[in-house]
Amino acid sequence: MSDRPVILSTDRLSRVYADGNVQALHEATIEVARGEYLAVMGPSGSGKSTLLNLLGALDTPTGGAVYFEGRNYGDLPSLDRFRAHELGFVFQSFHLLPTLTAAENVQIPLFESSHRAAARAARAAELLELVGMIHRAGHLPNQLSVGERQRVAVARALANRPAILLADEPTGNLDSRTAAHVLDLFDHLHRAQSMTIILVTHGDDVAARAERVIHLRDGRVWNGQTCEGPRE
Amino acid sequence: MYFFTFIFRNVLRRPVRSALTGVGVMLAVGAVVALLGIAQGFERSFAELFELRGVDLVVVRAGRTDRMTSNLDEAIGERLAELPGVQSAIPGLAEVVSFPEAHLIGVPIQGWPLDSPQFDDLSLQSGRRLRPDDENGVLLGLVLARNLELTTGQSIEIEMEPFEVVGIFESFNVIENGSAVMSLSRLQTLMDRHGQVSGFQVVLTPNDDKEVLRDRVRTAIAELRDEEGRPLKLEALPTRDYVDSVVQIRVARGMAWLTSSIALLIGTVGMLNTMIMSVFERTREIGILRAIGWRRGRILAMILGESLLLCSAGAVAGAVGAVLLTRWLASFPAAAGLMAGTISPAVILQGFVIALLVGVFGGAYPAFRGAGLSPTEALRHE
Repeated sequence: MSDRPVILSTDRLSRVYADGNVQALHEATIEVARGEYLAVMGPSGSGKSTLLNLLGALDTPTGGAVYFEGRNYGDLPSLDRFRAHELGFVFQSFHLLPTLTAAENVQIPLFESSHRAAARAARAAELLELVGMIHRAGHLPNQLSVGERQRVAVARALANRPAILLADEPTGNLDSRTAAHVLDLFDHLHRAQSMTIILVTHGDDVAARAERVIHLRDGRVWNGQTCEGPRE
Repeated sequence: MYFFTFIFRNVLRRPVRSALTGVGVMLAVGAVVALLGIAQGFERSFAELFELRGVDLVVVRAGRTDRMTSNLDEAIGERLAELPGVQSAIPGLAEVVSFPEAHLIGVPIQGWPLDSPQFDDLSLQSGRRLRPDDENGVLLGLVLARNLELTTGQSIEIEMEPFEVVGIFESFNVIENGSAVMSLSRLQTLMDRHGQVSGFQVVLTPNDDKEVLRDRVRTAIAELRDEEGRPLKLEALPTRDYVDSVVQIRVARGMAWLTSSIALLIGTVGMLNTMIMSVFERTREIGILRAIGWRRGRILAMILGESLLLCSAGAVAGAVGAVLLTRWLASFPAAAGLMAGTISPAVILQGFVIALLVGVFGGAYPAFRGAGLSPTEALRHE
């Protein structure tokens, strides 16, 4: 960790799923500095996506807590508003809305922040320019290549100028060349805009782009020799 | 992009399903507007017969459920006219006859005294007014004459007796245009109702406080007794109350609402089914919207908006269809004398309000279900 202020942290974060009593995450404690590029690695079922969902306020922990700039998520007045304004999500399967063009997809998060249609359109154009997709602004997702779709998804994630970008296997469905382009875009966002990025991956080459890597194994943070947190 | 654009695209995503749902709403709203429009149109036309002639009270037999077949002694008219506050009491006998050869059933025929001011409201298109020496003279309304294909001077058989069409008139009222008028005495003879009338139309003297005068006259009429002190059993109803109490109108209104309610129920179930399917199919998309920060309220507004958009489209098509259907029905001889072929804006507005209710009721459950989805569960949905 650097001397940068902590933007996101967890304290003994746990998540047990009621169906089957599966402990997906076990007392994980991590800290993420503002502007840090962090990769979360681990094999399938290690709890990476569960951790990302909890950090992204998409899910509720069964134990422990998540803090944004020192404030417990549970104390935030609206998690919807928090997600809309402070977090940007990039999914492995892009999750673009099929009936909307690239520009319109980017505008979707802006309904929660900008009431003017012209302002939404201008911001979408700006972001598509940033990700090199302005020439495809009027195309529907099924008219775009997978790499183009992911770039549009990144633009959508940036729509509300989030403090943190959360990416769940963002290159999982991309070929290596296209994946490199998307990761270059993340590098650019990190360097040029000092954006905090938390990226879940199981690829070493992807994780190598990050400043720091944490490993999960069986729902626990693993420091290379032993898992952090109590053993049962 | 506007929020509405997004809603519109979602509705167009499954065009056939949306179209079929819209057709369901269209039929429901069309049924409501057409049936209520016809019922209210008939009611309005019936009320006009009295209101546009300045009639304040209609006197009929008390306790009679079917007002149209009320039966009173014609001589009561003189006593009514003598009551303080009464300017005139005009007797009238109303019957219905049929002309099977022209496929006309239930044609109103009215008997008026030859000096009745009601004749002044008839605009003669041909021929002349009835005269005292017209033993078998009859006036035909314009629509009835057209339906019977008769002109002035031709003869017509009514209740198996021959009559001469002495004139053809046009009234301000569609029901009268589809009716026949003859002298009161001749209709009494024709129907074997000597000395009887259906009721009296009472016009009160001009007064600053008409409500008070009307109540006073109503009480006085209800208290009238014959020479032996027995009550005459009369009931004087304000025109609107009289129209509301007519059994045929109440039945028509009740049937219209009943049929409309069934149509609306079907429309609501159709909408509910469509929206539940739509939300189920888009569970993951809803999860994405929740993940990127859309509030539950916005998800709710989106799904309800889709439901309301479908209903609004159905309502517009249904209202247009109902107006055209009513016009078409009014062109049939059997209906031409009963309905004006127009639907009041209030009824169309009612149809739209009901369509919006279908949208809200049909969309509410799916909307709450969609808005209540947890983002992670929705994103996991296959």
